[in-house]
Amino acid sequence: MPFKLFDVNKEIPEREKHVYVKHCEDSEDSIACNTSTVPGCMGARGCVYAGSKGVITGAIKDVVHVVHSPVGCTTYGGGAKRYPSQPKLPNGEVFPVDNFNLKYICGTDLKESDVVFGGVKKLKQSVIDAIKEFPFATAIYCHATCTTGLIGDDMDAVCKELTEELGKDVIAFNTPGFAGPSQSKGHHITNDTIFSRMVGTKEPPKTTEYDICLIGEYNIDGDLWVIEKYLNEMGINILSRFSGDSSHEEICYMHRSKLNLVRCQRSATYIADLIEEKYGIPYVNVDFFSTEYCADNLRMLGRHFGLEEEAEKVIAKYHGEVKDELKYYKEKLTGKKIYIFSGGPKSWHLSIPLEKELGMNVTAVASEFEHEEGYEKMKARVKDGTTILDDPNSLEIEELIVTNKPDIILAGIKEKYLAYKYGVPSIMIHSYENGPYIGFEGFLNLAKDLYANIYNPVWDLVEFEEKLEEIQDEVISTPEEETTMEAGK
Amino acid sequence: MSGVNVLNRERNLIVNPLKTCQPLGAMYAVIGVRHGIPLVHGSQGCSSFVRYHLARHFREPVEIAVSSLHEAAAVFGGRKNINSSIKNIAIRYHPDLIGAITTCSSEIIGDDVFGFVDTTNKELKEMSEENEKYKGIEDIKVIPIPTPSFVGTHYSGYGVAINSMIQTVTKANEDDNSKVNIIPGILNPGDVKELKHIMDTLSISYTMLTDISEAFDAPLRPSKQERPFYPKGGVTVDEIANVSASRGTISICKYAKLGAETLEKSHNVPAITDDLPPIGIKGTDQFLRNLQSLTDCEISESILDERGLLIDLMADVSARYLFGRKVAIFGDPTQVTGIARFVSELGMEPVMVCTGADEKSFPTDMEIVAKESNINIDVLVEQDLRAVENYVKENEIDVLMGNSDARFINYETKIPLIRFGYPVYDRVGYHSHPIVGYRGAKRIAEMITNEVLERYYDEKHWKLQQ
Repeated sequence: MPFKLFDVNKEIPEREKHVYVKHCEDSEDSIACNTSTVPGCMGARGCVYAGSKGVITGAIKDVVHVVHSPVGCTTYGGGAKRYPSQPKLPNGEVFPVDNFNLKYICGTDLKESDVVFGGVKKLKQSVIDAIKEFPFATAIYCHATCTTGLIGDDMDAVCKELTEELGKDVIAFNTPGFAGPSQSKGHHITNDTIFSRMVGTKEPPKTTEYDICLIGEYNIDGDLWVIEKYLNEMGINILSRFSGDSSHEEICYMHRSKLNLVRCQRSATYIADLIEEKYGIPYVNVDFFSTEYCADNLRMLGRHFGLEEEAEKVIAKYHGEVKDELKYYKEKLTGKKIYIFSGGPKSWHLSIPLEKELGMNVTAVASEFEHEEGYEKMKARVKDGTTILDDPNSLEIEELIVTNKPDIILAGIKEKYLAYKYGVPSIMIHSYENGPYIGFEGFLNLAKDLYANIYNPVWDLVEFEEKLEEIQDEVISTPEEETTMEAGK
Repeated sequence: MSGVNVLNRERNLIVNPLKTCQPLGAMYAVIGVRHGIPLVHGSQGCSSFVRYHLARHFREPVEIAVSSLHEAAAVFGGRKNINSSIKNIAIRYHPDLIGAITTCSSEIIGDDVFGFVDTTNKELKEMSEENEKYKGIEDIKVIPIPTPSFVGTHYSGYGVAINSMIQTVTKANEDDNSKVNIIPGILNPGDVKELKHIMDTLSISYTMLTDISEAFDAPLRPSKQERPFYPKGGVTVDEIANVSASRGTISICKYAKLGAETLEKSHNVPAITDDLPPIGIKGTDQFLRNLQSLTDCEISESILDERGLLIDLMADVSARYLFGRKVAIFGDPTQVTGIARFVSELGMEPVMVCTGADEKSFPTDMEIVAKESNINIDVLVEQDLRAVENYVKENEIDVLMGNSDARFINYETKIPLIRFGYPVYDRVGYHSHPIVGYRGAKRIAEMITNEVLERYYDEKHWKLQQ
């Protein structure tokens, strides 16, 4: 049977259909996903509001976020994700605060009386306060939370009224935390809101024949800047970013792009579909993780825009810079067992590159909130015997670690320290360790981090040995380069 | 003129809050129980945000279960979610205690978590009687903890959780076990360890309500790691059951003192809840006097030597480097009051203090500090980090003290930032070292002095020739 019931799941058999072991004759049944987490489990999933503010809108550099909530959701919405921005705006002006999106979070600080009598008045006053506090902000985004969803505050009406009153876009994101099984629902609502409220409302300062929108790229640790550099050197212009290092304005003229590239296909295909449907702008799915996917996709864009030679030049230059070093890391990482637990699609982006380009052995892949098509891709991109998990919980992660101990785990901060306690190193794959991880140099950074974490001398020192001879025996029997880090590599 | 100038938030908007929600405090408290599991009754974010927030501060696992409250529960109520969550945890983890922590959503939909827990307890008993493999699950203590975020703060949530544990677990007791109960509040492991050190040195036995000192600062020893994973250490359910036999309760955080009051009212355990915290000389002196009043202990020579070491350092540094320097302090009211008092003992001037919540006794406590040091203090109440930012940009401030969120104020203004409290995620080690006790104060004085030397002396290095 390809579906697997973990020992720790014996009492919650409904988890069986979420765990699949890749088999040469794959079952027709799809892996259960995008359903509510089994109550009482310790999972990693975030809420709908997190998917909106934390993932998509929080990356935009020049807007104020007013979280319509009691204090907690506002506090947690601040500075949570590592998506830097630079202050340059598309009209040539410079936004007065750099990394504004990482520095400030605002909220309505609702109290018990607001829950009883409604929070609309406070929301209105707070938006006015926000503009006084940050008069240079281009727009105000208001976020619904569990509380305001349940008390029924009509945020759309307030925001519409304020847009007229203030002469700036005030946009309501109706994302109460409970409104879906995971943050994925928040991505969807936010795509829809941005499309209906923003796209098509403004015109770009200028356009070219080589304009694209880079959709679903959030500039984690500077990822977007890597891709932007490659595209610019090829002669392709990013007209709008959705939403890493993006400005409010440029999202408003996404409809003027010539081609849309969808990078994170879980959180942002929605808006690409909507733009295609309404404005007839085609989109392509792109993948820039690893040297091979990156080169393939740059070539594909070269063919599309008639920039084949330019693409080859960029590939030769940047791939050339990392080739030799990657060879070294492949040697070191070959055969190392790795378990990838991503938020969304990174599990299927990275499974083949880690095996093919770094020689690693992917033993398990998992995702917090992928949907059916994502799991189909995971199935297609892992070898027989690999475990595929949807929304794994802490006990399952423990069982995976103990029964088939990996050399490293790619996961988030919630799993990282748990893995450590069982003696397994872990890299943060949502926000990264020393990124960027995308593109040619990014893949080298990932390889370096994998190496540094697996070969971290601490993992050879974890237990006290009673007798000195035992340690010396071990050192002698292990080839020297296996036990020591080589400086500068 | 000495006194305080209370400044309330003028805008409705909160910008970069200095407080967070009650459920976080409740989860914090439950993690301090041996084999205790926090179960948050809310949406996914209610667990995942807190796990993230605590994990980045402690760099430790933070295991929190969630009842997965979604639309259906919002319409039909969350009884099933709580019920199956508790069973799931009971069967798969076999814990000693489960904290059923409510949130904004579960409170607004009107879930009767107390009733749900009662029903579930009965069902656990039945399961245990009917099936050998479930034997023992009826002994798990399930604690309903009502903590919506639209009331109170993280530390009041901590207080509510402690109180709920006492109400559910503590039994009537005529014995005297000559222990002292300590309610630390949201303190770091290093602080809790320091309080233990003081009491160990004075040969006082104690119960920490609760004890996160090992859970959030745990050794990495895979060969000793139990499965399922539980954080190390913690107060046992048995100890909580017997806090009624103690000589008294000291609540370090006066804003989380509910449990101490309940013990006093229901079990005649004297409560000491209103003193300034044991930070700095006077604060720690008072803590020792309180311990003495409850236990008749003698203050040992070794503790007095620790005090002497601190005094020695203060004599070395305060007049020469620190005197008259203006300090702005922000964070939780307990720690802010204590730090403000200590920097004034160092001869510095805590000219501005700021907290995120409207605590009535905070300005009163700051008045004590203002009188003691004969200065005027701007007391920002129910304010936020933006208010701190604006204040330090408009006023002359030499030293800023607070959490990591102020790091961008530090590199914009070049005012040294001395980190303390929660959260500190951009430096390491802050959670494992104390700010309380004489040794904690010594560490603060060293940190302040070194930062002052680096910022105000290094350029004119000849001034540092001894």
